[in-house]
Amino acid sequence: MTWEALAGQTLSGISVGMVLFLIAAGLSIIFGTLKVLNLAHGSLYMTGSFLCYGLTSLLSQIPGAYWWALLFAPILVAVLGGIIEIFLLRRIYDQEMLYQYILTFALILILGDACKFLFGVGYQTVAAPWPVNGKVFLWGLSFPVYNLFLIGCGLAVFLGLIVLMRYTALGRNVRAVTYNREMANALGINVPKVYTGVFMLGSYLAGLAGTLMPPMSVVALGSDMAVIIECFIIVVIGGLGSLPGAFLGAIILGLLNAFGIYIIPKLAVAFAFMLMIVVLIIRPWGLLGKPE
Amino acid sequence: MKRRVIRSIVLTVSIALIFSWIGPAQAAEKTPIVIGFIHSMSGAMSMYGISSEAGGKIAIDEINAAGGVLGRPLKMITRDDKLNPETGLREAKDLLLSEKADFLTGTISSAVALAISNYVKREKKLFIVNISQSSSLTEENWHRYIFRIDTNAVPYWGYAPAIALAKTWKAKKIISLGFDYETGKNSLKAFKEKYLQLVPDAKIIDELWAPLGTTDFTAYITKMANSGADAFFLACIYGGGELAFTKQAYAFGLYEKMKAIQPCAGDVETWYQVKKGESYPKGALATCRYPFWAIQDPKSKAFVEKHQKLVGFWPSYGAMNQYFIVYALKDAIEKVGAVDTEKIITALEGMTLNTFVGKVPIRAYDHQAMMPNWYGVMDFSPNLTFPHITKVDVIGEEGYHSVDKIKALRGGK
Repeated sequence: MTWEALAGQTLSGISVGMVLFLIAAGLSIIFGTLKVLNLAHGSLYMTGSFLCYGLTSLLSQIPGAYWWALLFAPILVAVLGGIIEIFLLRRIYDQEMLYQYILTFALILILGDACKFLFGVGYQTVAAPWPVNGKVFLWGLSFPVYNLFLIGCGLAVFLGLIVLMRYTALGRNVRAVTYNREMANALGINVPKVYTGVFMLGSYLAGLAGTLMPPMSVVALGSDMAVIIECFIIVVIGGLGSLPGAFLGAIILGLLNAFGIYIIPKLAVAFAFMLMIVVLIIRPWGLLGKPE
Repeated sequence: MKRRVIRSIVLTVSIALIFSWIGPAQAAEKTPIVIGFIHSMSGAMSMYGISSEAGGKIAIDEINAAGGVLGRPLKMITRDDKLNPETGLREAKDLLLSEKADFLTGTISSAVALAISNYVKREKKLFIVNISQSSSLTEENWHRYIFRIDTNAVPYWGYAPAIALAKTWKAKKIISLGFDYETGKNSLKAFKEKYLQLVPDAKIIDELWAPLGTTDFTAYITKMANSGADAFFLACIYGGGELAFTKQAYAFGLYEKMKAIQPCAGDVETWYQVKKGESYPKGALATCRYPFWAIQDPKSKAFVEKHQKLVGFWPSYGAMNQYFIVYALKDAIEKVGAVDTEKIITALEGMTLNTFVGKVPIRAYDHQAMMPNWYGVMDFSPNLTFPHITKVDVIGEEGYHSVDKIKALRGGK
C-alpha cells in the first residue's frame, strides 16, 4: 500500500464516518435519555436531505442557497421531531418496548411516503456550494474540499455536544433526567420538556446530517434504511447512549469500510458486521458504554 | 306518486333507446385496431412509461390522420404494470380478453416482460418489447410470439462499450466497478468477452463490486485513483448510483486521472437536470440509445418537438422505440392485408424498418431488431443545457450476440 493510497482511504473513510456520527449521535442521545430506540431516525435524516433539496431549489435565485438550507432544513426537522415527541411518543413511554418499535416503524413508512408524495420518486442532486466546492492536493492526491468540510463539521458538532452536556445548565438537567428520572422530577426539573428538547436535538442532528450529505451524493428514497443500519452498527460498537462512543464507532466504521474495500473488497460489506459480533461477545455494552 | 313512476319509466326507456341507437351507429363505423400498451405508469420508472406512451401516441395520431391502416383507425390502450409481474400479467389478460387487443407492446421490467411473454406464447398473440433489456427474452426464452424493437443488455452494457473503446482509446489496464448483482456481473462479462477479443493485450486489473443501491463510492474511488489503471469501466451503475458516483469521482478528480468508460451515461434521462458547472462524467466514453441532438433526419426533430409538447420533457429511447413499433405493425398489417397474427409475424421476420435513425432490420432468427447503439464522449455543447455525448458514432449489428452465439446459448439450456 502506497502513502497516497493510505491517505486517500483514511480521509475518505473519516469524512463518511463523520456524517454517520451525526446521525448516530442523535440516535444515541435520544436512547440515552428517553430510552426510546427510534427506528425512524434514518427517516428524519432522509427528510433532512429532501428538505435540503427542496430549499436549495426554492431559493435557487438567491446566492448561497445551500447555506440557507443548511440553516433551516435541520431546524424544520427538529420541529418535526418535536411534534412527533409531543403527539406520538409521549403516549407510549409507560408501555412495553414493543409499542415503541411499532410506532417508530410506522413513522418510517409515513415519512418515506410523505417524501415520495412531496418530492417525487426521481433522483435529485444538490451541487457543492462555494467556497467548499473545490479540490485540494494532499500528499499528491486530489481531495475534494467538501469532504474536509464534512470532517470539520463532524468535529465541531462533537465538541459542541460535549460542551453542551458537560458545562451548561441545560446539559446538567439532561444528565440528571438520564441518570434518574424520578429524582430529577422531584428536584423540580420539567422532565417532559427535557424529553422534548432532547428528541428535538437528536432530530436536529439527523436533519443536519441529511442536509450535509446531498452535495456529495444524491437525494433518493431508500437512504433512510441504508443509514439506520450503519448507525445501529456504530452505536453497538461504541456503546448505546454514549456520545464519545458514537464518535469512536463512526470513525472505526468509516475506516473499516474504506480499508476493507482497499484490501479485500469482496468482504468489505461483512467487516462491520464481524466487528459488531466481536464487540457484542467481548463487551456487550460497547467500547465506551457502561454496563447496566 | 304514480306519475313519478311513469315518468321514470319513460326516462329509462328513452335512455335505453338512445343507447341502442348509438350502439349500432358506432359499430357501423370501422372498428379500430387495438394495440395494448403495458408499462410502468406510476412509481420510480414511470417517466419511461409516460414517455413511451407519448411515442406510441404520436405515431398513432400521424397514422390516423393519414387515414389509418386498411381504412381502420389505430387505438392504443394503456395499462400500468406497477413493475409487478402478476399485475402485468393480469393487465395483459384483460387487454386481450376484455379489450380485444390485437397486439401487446411495452414493459420496462424484464420480469414483467417474461410473464407476458409466457402468456402470449400460450395465447398465440404478438408481444413486442419496447424497453426491457434482459437479453434472455429473445435468446434463451425466445418463442415465435415475442419481438423486441429496442437494444438489449448485451450490446448496450457490454459489447457496444467494448467496440467503442477498441475503436477509440484502446485502454490497456482497466479497473471495473459494478453493482453486485446479476445484470452487473453479466455486463462486465460481456464487456470483457468482446474487448479482450478486440484488444488482446488489454487487462482487467481489478474488479470492484459495490452492493446494489450504494450511494457512497468514495472509498472505491480513492482505491481506483491509486490502482495504476489507465481507464475504469462502470458495470451497470445507473440512475441514482451513477449520479452519486459521478459527483464523487468528479470531486476526487478521477476523470482527470484516468479515462472513463461509463455505459448509460449518454442517455438523457439521468442527466437532463445537470447544468453546466455541476459535476458530470467529464470526457467519459458513453453509450446512448437515442441521441436526438445528433440525428439529422427532420422526422426525428419533429418527433422530439411533438414529444415535448405532449408531456413536457425530452423523449427517452422508449418513446422512439414505441413509435417504431406502431409503424412496424402498420407496415406488417398493410403487407399482409389483414390483422392476422401468424401472417404478421411472418411479415415482421426479416422486415427492415425504415426509420428516422436509418434502416433497422429485424433479425428473423431471434426477432430482435438490430437497433443501433450510439456512443460518444460526454461534454457540453452550446445548444443543449445538459451534458451529452459528442463526436457521436454508431454501432449496428456487430454490437449484438451473433446468431451462432445465441444458438449455443439456447442449446446449453
